[in-house]
Amino acid sequence: MLRRTAPVVVLTLIVGITLFFAAPRLRAASAWPTSESYAGAAADSADWILPARDYSGNRYVSETEIAPENVAKLTKSWSAKIDARGPLETSPIVWNGTMYVTSSHNDVYALDAKTGALKWHFPYKPHVIAFSANRGVALGDGKVYEATLDGHLIALDAMTGKPLWNVVAAHDTTNTFFTMQPVPYKNMLLIGASNGDWGGVGYVSAFNAADGKRIWDWKTIPGPGEPGHETWSGDSWKRGGGAVWSGVAIDPGSDTLYIDAGNPQPDFLGTIRKGANLYTNSMVALDISGKPKIKWYHQFIPHDTHDWDPAMPPVLFEATVGGAKRKLVAAGDKGGNFWVLDAGNGSVVYHLAVSTQKGQSSEPDRKGDIACPNTNGGVEFNGGSYLPETNDFYVPSVNQCGLWKSAGTATYITGQFYLGGGFPSLSGPSTGYMQAIDMGTGQFVWRKHLAYPQIGGALSLSTGVVFTGGVNGDFTAYDAKSGAVLWHYATGMTIQAPPTSYALDGKQYVAVAAGPAGINFADPRFAKGTPTLEGSYKTATSAAITVFSMP
Amino acid sequence: MSPRPFVFAFRFVLAFALAGAAGGRPAAASMDAHANAIAALADVRATVDEIVRIEDGFAVGHAAYVRAAHRALNALVGRRDDGYVASFGDSGDGVGALGHIDALLDTEGTSLWTPAIEGAKANVLAAAENLQTATREREMEEYQGDLTHALANLALVAGRTSQGGVFGGLSGALANTSLAVPRGAASVSGCGLPARAPSYGVVSERLAYVALPRADAATKLPGEIDVRRVVVRGDEVVLYTAASAEAAALCAHATAQRSTARLERTRHVAEGAHAAGLFTLPQAQAGAEVYRRYCIACHGADLQGTAGPGVAGTEFLTTAHANRWHLSDLRTTVVENMPFSNPGSLTPAQYADVLAFLLASNCYPAGAVPFPTAQRPQFATIALASSAATVRPKSKAGTCAVVPK
Repeated sequence: MLRRTAPVVVLTLIVGITLFFAAPRLRAASAWPTSESYAGAAADSADWILPARDYSGNRYVSETEIAPENVAKLTKSWSAKIDARGPLETSPIVWNGTMYVTSSHNDVYALDAKTGALKWHFPYKPHVIAFSANRGVALGDGKVYEATLDGHLIALDAMTGKPLWNVVAAHDTTNTFFTMQPVPYKNMLLIGASNGDWGGVGYVSAFNAADGKRIWDWKTIPGPGEPGHETWSGDSWKRGGGAVWSGVAIDPGSDTLYIDAGNPQPDFLGTIRKGANLYTNSMVALDISGKPKIKWYHQFIPHDTHDWDPAMPPVLFEATVGGAKRKLVAAGDKGGNFWVLDAGNGSVVYHLAVSTQKGQSSEPDRKGDIACPNTNGGVEFNGGSYLPETNDFYVPSVNQCGLWKSAGTATYITGQFYLGGGFPSLSGPSTGYMQAIDMGTGQFVWRKHLAYPQIGGALSLSTGVVFTGGVNGDFTAYDAKSGAVLWHYATGMTIQAPPTSYALDGKQYVAVAAGPAGINFADPRFAKGTPTLEGSYKTATSAAITVFSMP
Repeated sequence: MSPRPFVFAFRFVLAFALAGAAGGRPAAASMDAHANAIAALADVRATVDEIVRIEDGFAVGHAAYVRAAHRALNALVGRRDDGYVASFGDSGDGVGALGHIDALLDTEGTSLWTPAIEGAKANVLAAAENLQTATREREMEEYQGDLTHALANLALVAGRTSQGGVFGGLSGALANTSLAVPRGAASVSGCGLPARAPSYGVVSERLAYVALPRADAATKLPGEIDVRRVVVRGDEVVLYTAASAEAAALCAHATAQRSTARLERTRHVAEGAHAAGLFTLPQAQAGAEVYRRYCIACHGADLQGTAGPGVAGTEFLTTAHANRWHLSDLRTTVVENMPFSNPGSLTPAQYADVLAFLLASNCYPAGAVPFPTAQRPQFATIALASSAATVRPKSKAGTCAVVPK
């Protein structure tokens, strides 16, 4: 405890001084992002106010001083330590010179975006059901919103970090928690529930941003009498899974919300839930002009028995396909598939394997069998990015196989995994890919096979630079056209958070959080110290957000 | 000719003795251990009666069912518990089985009967939780489910006269240990034949026999008794208990301290695990090393969780209690799902060791018998809760340190 408190005390002193001198400016700039700012976020190159910058879910910046010619000079501007009890998955929100980030255990930090100085720190002690992880906060109307590991939705005063209200937002806190970054839309906060491996039924909810009161829920598993219910045998739908883990995309023009529902459960025992198990492993387009209504859905893996949920947050984009502009939505799943669908009707435009695939047609049995990818393989929860200037989609992936065993039965124990077996054990190599896919043809433009799983997501710049991070801590800038490595930096910690970018006083910054490997991406090689692009990587015990800029 | 008719008649007499003990409004603290155990058993029976009455009856309306669950809960937990709602009345003695059991466990030191009473307490708490839930149910089916669970818990609280340890429950402790001896009654060495009657023959806290004067119909008897052998000897009737064989063995080796210890171990093995002493200290120490190698990365050196959840201490036990985890659930989760990245990869002995370490870290006391390598049916009856832990926590987080060898 002492170890963690001491730097905070020092930082608080600095913050006190900063606040004293900066007070008049902060008061003058007490305007907060509004519905209009969110809708126009793509044009705001200074701030980063939505999880993936704007509602499209595409991490793309068009006004940029960083280019293939000068990115090699990129240097560390500052870094700030974050509580390191778990992996960092936070996507920073930056507004008006302040950056808001979270730790795995729901601590919230407000940092000076220029210097990294701590403005305030909100500590939190949630009960952890299984994984400690948090993907960031939302900002609006003077409040910072966080959805927590113990199923609460909390509003903090954005100026001070003092809690304003705290409501229980999950229906069943014994098996449901939140990792998703809340998405502000109109007067609502949209949040998906993480309960898909603990015997819950997934849902996405809208809460009133003013007081945290529930406005609606949309359940991912159809109940009796609803279309799709017939895809579940017996009562299996009652603990059917379909968690809404990752980010969402929104088309504000048509009030369409794109979500991905996760794997069915018990994860590894399909025999007790015969059928396609809708809407698990599906992208669902919902009309949210009122109570949610399904516009269309596309199920990527019917009757999944390997926990291969579509982890990648949807990315809405307009690309040139066969010479004509087309509205598309991209998805990726842990089964190693990358999908491009028609955003209007969900029909498949492209489907590629981006990781080794093997043994996908058989269910895990009691003896155990090898299937690829491993449960944390394929395309992970930070997804990829589309660059209009090249008409290419950039997506990292994980290349692993696993040994899967079904237990033959599944017992529901409140608050514990509901799997019908154990999670698979890594079998064989653990590597990754970074790849560029031409949206005109659906073919690979380039593909790099890397020594480590790649889960850091992608940020593309209009000048033709693509950033991503690997589990070995390398933060890398690629040439969008050739795939050549233009720049890299060893954070010394596992990167499983997405890169972001913002600008202050005419200077552009690129930020990425990194920390311990956590449960899912610990690599057997880390303990020994393993060579990377720069030096070697050893199991990380600290966590930090690191920010880069041109010198 | 078997002595069965005699035994039946004997039980009848006992029932009267019990009815007498349940009368009045006793203060548990001023009662001796024997009286508390008798009163606890009476309260358990009052609780069971409330449940059986509503289940066998044809009550119409939600209120009657809610009332029955409350009355059962009242009899079980007593006035001093938060769950007690006075307006529903109480067919127990007001102290509640829980009050009497707490008084029993409040006494200094541990006795042979302590594990049985600790086990009974764990099951009283589980039953209370089920009854509490029943008071809130809206569906008949759910309500009946809760009561069925409560009855299963209560059966374990009452226990069996033929068994010792945690399975014996209150009845077992009363029938086989020195808990049988009422205040003021004559307790003699159970190694020899009784020198007088009435008297209780006791060997190392085991009740070997009860000797009764043949002509005396007025002598009150201890709780229930499972009579294995009846010997008529002049003016005395000697009733040998289920524990008499063990007592005789102890007598035969009374001088050899080591062999007594060995017999103790044998006795524990025969009984299986009980809430106190589910594992051995060396096993927990070996488990500490297993934890360090395979678990610490996610669950933390202080067991409070890092990337994964906490696995010991106040926060863990509060969750365990809220989610109604039993020892069987803990074992299933660890053995089937852990280590997370390679489930099932430890040896059965390593799993047993690390479970011993977890129990020790949660302040469960060590005993003489190792934690087994296989699931045991009784694990489903051992509720995980801080109240079941008997060692005083050493850390702020409510964990107990296990020092590696």
